[in-house]
Amino acid sequence: MKLLTHNLLSSHVRGLRPGGGFPLQIQASEVRVRPVPFNAAFVARLVPRLRWAALLEAAESLGHPSELPPEPAADYEGDESFLRRVHHILLEVEVLEGVLQCPDSGRRFPISRGIPNMLLSEEEA
Amino acid sequence: MDKEASQLERDHIHSVYEKIAPCFNDACYKAWPKVQQFISEQERGSLIADIGCGNGKYLHISSQVYKLGCDYCFPTVESARSEGHEVTVCHSLCLPYRSECFDAVLSIAVIHHFSTEERCMRAIKETARILRVGGQIMIYVWAMEQNRRRFEKQDVFVPWNPSPPSCSSGEPCPRGVQKSILHKDKELALNQPCHKLDGTSEVHRTARSSSCGGEKKALWTALEKSRRWSLFSRSLDSVLGVGDQRHQEDLIRYCSYDVQLNELNRGKKAEKSGDQLAVRRQLKIDHHPKQGAFCQPQNERRPGSSLQRAVSERTPTTQSRQQTWLRYHHVFKEGELAELIDCHIPELYITQSYFDHANRCMIAEKTEMWKI
Repeated sequence: MKLLTHNLLSSHVRGLRPGGGFPLQIQASEVRVRPVPFNAAFVARLVPRLRWAALLEAAESLGHPSELPPEPAADYEGDESFLRRVHHILLEVEVLEGVLQCPDSGRRFPISRGIPNMLLSEEEA
Repeated sequence: MDKEASQLERDHIHSVYEKIAPCFNDACYKAWPKVQQFISEQERGSLIADIGCGNGKYLHISSQVYKLGCDYCFPTVESARSEGHEVTVCHSLCLPYRSECFDAVLSIAVIHHFSTEERCMRAIKETARILRVGGQIMIYVWAMEQNRRRFEKQDVFVPWNPSPPSCSSGEPCPRGVQKSILHKDKELALNQPCHKLDGTSEVHRTARSSSCGGEKKALWTALEKSRRWSLFSRSLDSVLGVGDQRHQEDLIRYCSYDVQLNELNRGKKAEKSGDQLAVRRQLKIDHHPKQGAFCQPQNERRPGSSLQRAVSERTPTTQSRQQTWLRYHHVFKEGELAELIDCHIPELYITQSYFDHANRCMIAEKTEMWKI
């Protein structure tokens, strides 16, 4: 599970307050870093779509502090150094084993071999 | 009603896909060209969700976009993951994504597996939820009216044979499911034991009761027609490779017979139920006669049922090596999908509607909803 994926994931356990299922807290037992080809335009397009605070928090929780600013600068699109750091944290850091925990309900979703299992029972959904 | 629908989908879709997943060799199949085109036309940096991605047939297309697949079937998700794709396991009625976070969504050969109109609608609404305003969704479902075959009913079980003789994948598939992802925390029973559905009834849309037994007829044809049927049934899901193209040209006739769903799912107990919602389904089962007998999902076996008798009567000696599984489909009439969206999903505006290789296809755009 890449951190870009994590930034899109949310719990939908029944009864949560609006937005209460995001961001999922990561408890990782195995993390992998693997190079991915860098594409500045691709990354720049992604930046406005991200929940920035959740990304920083996730990187921190994996022991990969991103060295990213609290918010993207206004001219981030032309800042290659910034985009490379975003690229690294979004696409090159993967959680292979661990758990995602819903912040409001505490429901835990396992990650196994890089695959989050987000299935809910019929009672929970 | 929803519980029964869910149970039917578990029995006749989820458990079947788990069984056929090891045999689902995508090397034999290519992606639908128009789906490929849809993905390729998305802007660079787009976020695309493939709902019901299977083993990731569309996830390799275009390195300019970020694709996230999801499926209910563990084995196929693992297969997609082994190709390096980003995937999750989830149910399409409860997608684990933030709202309005995707630029495009694919729903290819998924909606037709839902056994009630209400669940179809919920599934489409859920895909609309995760789509940003201005984003596009592409939906493919099996069509009832097709050029080369005719479904006589809309709710059908269609057999899937794991190893047609011509398939280059070779050996017959092993039985059973290779479940490779374990639930670490809460157990979710995917292959649930067959529940006795006391009282309540079948799930779906309009139904008529019918008798079975004496109406069954079957044609036993040559092995070549067996192979064509196997290939054809899968050709509805995806385009076959060039080498198999010729088999799509054959006009195949099927014999079919009506079986009451309650014969499949439950015993006579349900018929005595006083549940006012009890509805009988008449389901058409298109079967290929020589592919071995039908192999019902393991939790469907009911000794003495008319279907089971048909199975045992026709069982050839090769059944132990080759099995055929039945997958539930609701095949869509012309205009049905559009009506579902127009009437129930105002946040989607249909921009294209067409017929593609036995599929009803639709592209719709997410519109802004104004609250008054």
